[in-house]
Amino acid sequence: MSNGVVENLINELTKLPGIGRKTAQRLSFFIMGIPEDEALSIANAIIEIKKKARFCRQCFNITEEEICSICRSSQRNKNTICVVEEPSNLIVIENTKIYNGLYHVLLGALSPIDGVTPERLKINELVERVKSGDISEVIIATNPNTKGETTAQYLSQILKPLGVKITRIAYGLPIGGDIEFADEVTLSKSIEGRNEM
Amino acid sequence: MLTRTEGIVLKTQKYGEADLIVTYLTSDRGIIKAFAQSPRKTRSRFGSSLEPLTHAKISLWGKEQATLPKITQSDIINSFHQIREDFHDFISISKLVEMLMVLIPESIPNKKLFTFLLNILQTIKESEQSSKDALHLITRIRLLATIGYAPRLKGCGRCGGKGLNFYPASGTILCNKCAVPFVAGQSYFKISSNTIHFYTHSIEWPIHISNRLKPRQEVLAELSTLLDRHLTYLLSKKLHSSEFHSGISGNQEYKSRTT
Ligand SMILES: [Zn+2]
Ligand SMILES: [Zn+2]
Repeated sequence: MSNGVVENLINELTKLPGIGRKTAQRLSFFIMGIPEDEALSIANAIIEIKKKARFCRQCFNITEEEICSICRSSQRNKNTICVVEEPSNLIVIENTKIYNGLYHVLLGALSPIDGVTPERLKINELVERVKSGDISEVIIATNPNTKGETTAQYLSQILKPLGVKITRIAYGLPIGGDIEFADEVTLSKSIEGRNEM
Repeated sequence: MLTRTEGIVLKTQKYGEADLIVTYLTSDRGIIKAFAQSPRKTRSRFGSSLEPLTHAKISLWGKEQATLPKITQSDIINSFHQIREDFHDFISISKLVEMLMVLIPESIPNKKLFTFLLNILQTIKESEQSSKDALHLITRIRLLATIGYAPRLKGCGRCGGKGLNFYPASGTILCNKCAVPFVAGQSYFKISSNTIHFYTHSIEWPIHISNRLKPRQEVLAELSTLLDRHLTYLLSKKLHSSEFHSGISGNQEYKSRTT
């Protein structure tokens, strides 16, 4: 039996973050063992996401439309923007159901040593939104670690001259942690207890 | 095998779902990378001990020559959080840390360098805001001097004669006589004698004394540019953190530091 196709799948899977060779092997053998239609539906889901999913033109959340459902909703408070690093952070905050404003996803965090400059993130787009919209408060919900803190300080400095209230989520969150893994109670508390910067 | 050492966190990178790869400058093994399982989970026992600049006692698990040992324990000796929480300090110190990482090969023991960085972090932590610009520049000059990459600004690098033109491609000042035959057509830039004066002191005097120098902004700007160009030539690329610094300085809404 030729190992070509199996080897190929293993190699492709190791390209995914957090997947080492061993895990890739295990996943490949698992896929070999499931019915063909199940395997096809996994493959199709990957193709679909590449074809249809994109970043919202306004907030850079993941969406299938030009503008995401949060930005389009008439139920949301359009005067508040909550700034997060990644779409996955937005999802956790949505799950707390405590926040009803808009979002802005930066798609990363500032890091001098990695060359992640403000231009590499969606910061200019945020400044434009604050300038042109009816925004009264920007809540900075970047991660409670060095990159997130550096980003928060930078945002605060460039947004303050625009006359908008800047708040930073409170530290019920431990330093070094990642919002993605915060439990909903801790996260709700830290949004409620946010402080002005 | 479990080994214990002291390290200063230079950099962290996300790895997989919740893991981190931490680059340390250690007291006895030089620069090493190690791996921490799930520190980003909010109930992690690592707490903030893996944040950049933290000086910690660490326990590593792995074969003797393992490329990526696992961090099993990390206890903070000094967090130096004051430095990383100050936006300007953090950008400036990032230049120094990046220089270390690109100029020093991994896994070569260098106790002197470890002590050097620790001393610098301590000095920055205790310094007044007003002397920070000069201090950050001095630390970069001293690092280059410590590892033998410092540019030569004290007289012409060929004949020792007087000169004010710095040639990045030669890493030295050259006088007009020497420059013509050796480096015809190479780019250079002119520096002031004040800059040379400050530079010489910052290499020769102990850091806590040179820290008391109060150079003018022009001197700092000139020397900062000179070091950047020297490094760009040395590395054949610009430091990320230098690019970051010039990036935010270009933003008119943002008031940044000189160095
Ligand atoms: Zn949107
Ligand atoms: Zn000469």
